[in-house]
Amino acid sequence: MTLLDFARGPAIHASLIILAAGIVLRLVGVLALTRGADLSRPRDAFGNFKGYRTVFSRAWPSSEFNAATVYQTVMAYVFHIATLLVVIGIVPHIEFITSLTGASWPGLPNFIGVALGTIALVSLLALIVRRLSKPAIYNSTVGDYITWIIVALPLLTGLMAFAHVGFRYETMLALHILSAALLFAYMPFSKLMHAFWFIFSRAQSGLAYAHKGVRI
Amino acid sequence: MAYEATLGDLLRSQGVSRRAFMKFCATTASIMALPAGAASAMAEALSAARRPSVIWLSFQECTGCTEALTRSHAPTIENLLFNFISLDYHHTLQAAAGDAAEHALKEAMQANKGEYLVLVDGSIPLLEYCSTVAGHSNKQILEDVCADAAAVINIGTCSAYGGIPMAKPNPTRAVATGDIIKDKPIINVPGCPPMPLAITGVIAQYLTMGKLPEVDHLGRPVAFFGENIHDRCYRRPFYDRGQFAETFDDEGARKGWCLYKLGCKAPVAYNACAHVKWNNGVSFPIQSGHGCIGCSEPGFWDMGGIYESVAKGNFGDGAKLGAAAVAGAALGAGAAVLARRRKSEVHHEEGAES
Amino acid sequence: MSATASTQIFPSFEQVYQGLASQIGMLREMAPQPTKSDEKRLQGAIDTLIADTNADEAVWLESCIHCGQCTNACHYFQSMQDAKYAPMRKMDLYRRVYHRELSPMRWWHRLVTKPVKLSDFEEAKELIYDSCTECGRCTMVCPMGIDTASLVHHMRSAMVAAELVPPELAALRMEQKHQGTVFGSSPEKLKEMIDTIQAQAGVHIPLDKETADVMVLSSAVDLVANGNGLLATAKIMNHLGVDWTICSDGFESANFGLLSGDMALWKKQADPIVAAAQRVKAKTVVIAECGHAYPALRWNPMLRSGELPFQMMYMSEFLGKQAKDGKLRLRPLDEKVTFHDPCKTGRRGGAFDEPRAVLEAMGADLVEMANNKEYNWCCGGGAGIFLLQDATKLRDESFKIKIREVNETGATAVVVSCASCRLNFESGRQKNHWDKRVESLVELTAAHLIDNEAIDDEAPARGAVQ
Repeated sequence: MTLLDFARGPAIHASLIILAAGIVLRLVGVLALTRGADLSRPRDAFGNFKGYRTVFSRAWPSSEFNAATVYQTVMAYVFHIATLLVVIGIVPHIEFITSLTGASWPGLPNFIGVALGTIALVSLLALIVRRLSKPAIYNSTVGDYITWIIVALPLLTGLMAFAHVGFRYETMLALHILSAALLFAYMPFSKLMHAFWFIFSRAQSGLAYAHKGVRI
Repeated sequence: MAYEATLGDLLRSQGVSRRAFMKFCATTASIMALPAGAASAMAEALSAARRPSVIWLSFQECTGCTEALTRSHAPTIENLLFNFISLDYHHTLQAAAGDAAEHALKEAMQANKGEYLVLVDGSIPLLEYCSTVAGHSNKQILEDVCADAAAVINIGTCSAYGGIPMAKPNPTRAVATGDIIKDKPIINVPGCPPMPLAITGVIAQYLTMGKLPEVDHLGRPVAFFGENIHDRCYRRPFYDRGQFAETFDDEGARKGWCLYKLGCKAPVAYNACAHVKWNNGVSFPIQSGHGCIGCSEPGFWDMGGIYESVAKGNFGDGAKLGAAAVAGAALGAGAAVLARRRKSEVHHEEGAES
Repeated sequence: MSATASTQIFPSFEQVYQGLASQIGMLREMAPQPTKSDEKRLQGAIDTLIADTNADEAVWLESCIHCGQCTNACHYFQSMQDAKYAPMRKMDLYRRVYHRELSPMRWWHRLVTKPVKLSDFEEAKELIYDSCTECGRCTMVCPMGIDTASLVHHMRSAMVAAELVPPELAALRMEQKHQGTVFGSSPEKLKEMIDTIQAQAGVHIPLDKETADVMVLSSAVDLVANGNGLLATAKIMNHLGVDWTICSDGFESANFGLLSGDMALWKKQADPIVAAAQRVKAKTVVIAECGHAYPALRWNPMLRSGELPFQMMYMSEFLGKQAKDGKLRLRPLDEKVTFHDPCKTGRRGGAFDEPRAVLEAMGADLVEMANNKEYNWCCGGGAGIFLLQDATKLRDESFKIKIREVNETGATAVVVSCASCRLNFESGRQKNHWDKRVESLVELTAAHLIDNEAIDDEAPARGAVQ
């Protein structure tokens, strides 16, 4: 079995099984603890419902924090959007997703894919540079750096494979798939779970504050 | 045999001009990245070369490799060169049969001990009864013949890497030549079939230089297998622009767009098809509208299907993902139930204390 | 000074602050020593966190991505620029306990992490008490919306079980637990104060009426130091002509159960107030200007206020409602002022409009600070931190943010509506020789009341919502 066969066969298969099981395990294991009841009287009858706004409104910092957070917010947005577009936009990824789900859609031209991948990688670098240069603000743990590396690897290997640089294409492709497999398997057990938690975390706070008539 | 004809004699007798012969040498030399001046040296050496003794062993194969070499449209220099070698033993081509054939084999081995070339097509079954010749298993023949050989040239993917006989589920437990013969120089000229120029190029270099050419990590001559077909493909600009044929009869297919989505394995295939081409440079599979199947690569038959694109994952059973999610949910719910029990126990203790 | 009559009877707030500061100094000596074994203290702390952790807390603990944004919101971090004051750090120990005890991955975490020790809680003490007012400003910037303040509050409960409450809070907690008083503010003291007010200011306070529409709470600061607070409250209630009373068995707003994290004591303190209000058939309970009493009595999730036959209102909320209804008749305040929202009644209480309505009724030129309402900078003295000697530097440094914010408005006075805020402002004002006045909303309102007899001469009430 070649490295590529291993990568897109057992490796990616196992990582997706871990991903599916891990995400559900962690979500159910936490959410089934159930929320505590708030018995106090809400400020207005439909107030609590307004709390769900926070899920969306917190997508951008309020003007009070703009100056302090704009660099990180913009970089994080650039990273997330560029990465998302690469993940769902370039043809090899669509082919991969199609082989898993059957769904298919038109892809982006490759030069755009390369540009987006580069942008994503550069924004990730910009974020780690800031993290390294301001240790007091970030209180970084080993896990923060490991996560960064595990997120950066698929981007780096993907760009290299896509541009046919580095090792032979099939090796780069195998490394790219393996790095993605690593990301999948690591995701449920890391801070990358914020991809799901942010909804619950924001909603909870939004509801708790809306209960008191405060819009956050 | 009082006078052994040289290759030059043979070519002249076949009406091949000196100019055409020089052209062949120049092409071969340049493709094999030999130094300047090698072309004339090669012409010199080849003209004077004596017929080398060659024993061609065919095991689990389809004769396609032989066909590719011998059934060319026109009498090319490649097949003339092929004609030139002293093919002392070849199951398919030799006139002798039965005991006479086996006798010819023994004679050739003794007469050219340590000097003859062994060309192998077809894989060798480890379940030895699956393929035998004259009562001897393929494995035994290979071991016997290779014992006194100068070098082994694997013609085609089957002998080089196991090929189609080794494809899952590999009922004969087929292996490649290199899995059995460990003590002889081996060169692989894979392909299904291999390019005729690659075969003759390797032989030509062996005849002129007295050694096998430089090979890659898979034992293939770098000169023919060092280039990625995708990198050399004339349809590459369509790939870069994101223009793909979606089916074999759509507009993209008619316009000659990239066949990546139709399962073309060019990105992971290394061969000279895209620049040397087949049938005297007429065409190659991608040019004729079908994706590359990566036939020069080990295990190409099991690379996920001819029409599945390179990027496709091999998931085995997709239902396992659903099962994994259900198992995760069960584990999570179990963990939460235990956690809540723990919480209520703690709560009781606290209540009792205060 | 706008407050005229009252300053003659009781000491000014400047003197109140100085008197109280010396009393606070004595608290450290009265602090109780740990009584349980270290093992029990540790187990108690862990058990408390286990009992307190629901999906909300778990999700918040799981959500942090160490993005560092919260540091922008925290007045302590901004003034100290020290990594340890980053709000996200304040939940690290809680998360360790959660990971090992309740998380769905707890089997894994128990393999790879070390058990939590009592010394870990000792180290966390500074983060849980000294450097967090539970103001919730970090929640406003957190991309995940993590409510760090409530996690810190659960940690305080764990600290109570670990007997690691800072000496000042521990002393007051023990006093409230065993004597039922804060700084000795007993029912007798209440009676004494009411009599003093009656005798010297001629203002009547109806103590322990059988029934009343409005039950008013007082607070220790009012009773033992700042008589002006209760006097102002009485003047306003009488001005409004409402049927009101103070109950000697349920008058204390301050709740050192909540501040220290002792929720059993919180309940012990809150229950009599609820019982008294039900007995006198109150329709409204007015909480004195004591910020944390608002979450203690109005918003505590364990208090079934939805089922109570009366409404809990904070003083500023009550005054604002009266102002909006046009019932407060106030003389104009021709001055540029700004309003400081106490964390507990503002961001974590939602009473934003009401205090502003009162100022509007006075015709004050209200200038908002750059960060106001939900985004208001904490003064740095809330959640009991004003009392903590160890937090002095944090408090003083962080108050400079507040000075800057107020100065930028160009106001000559800052109005607050919380005793803790007011004490902290007063402390900061004196230490920095700050030229701004610090006014209490209730006292400012009382000072601008138009005497009932004079109403006929005046134009209709200002600021009334028609």
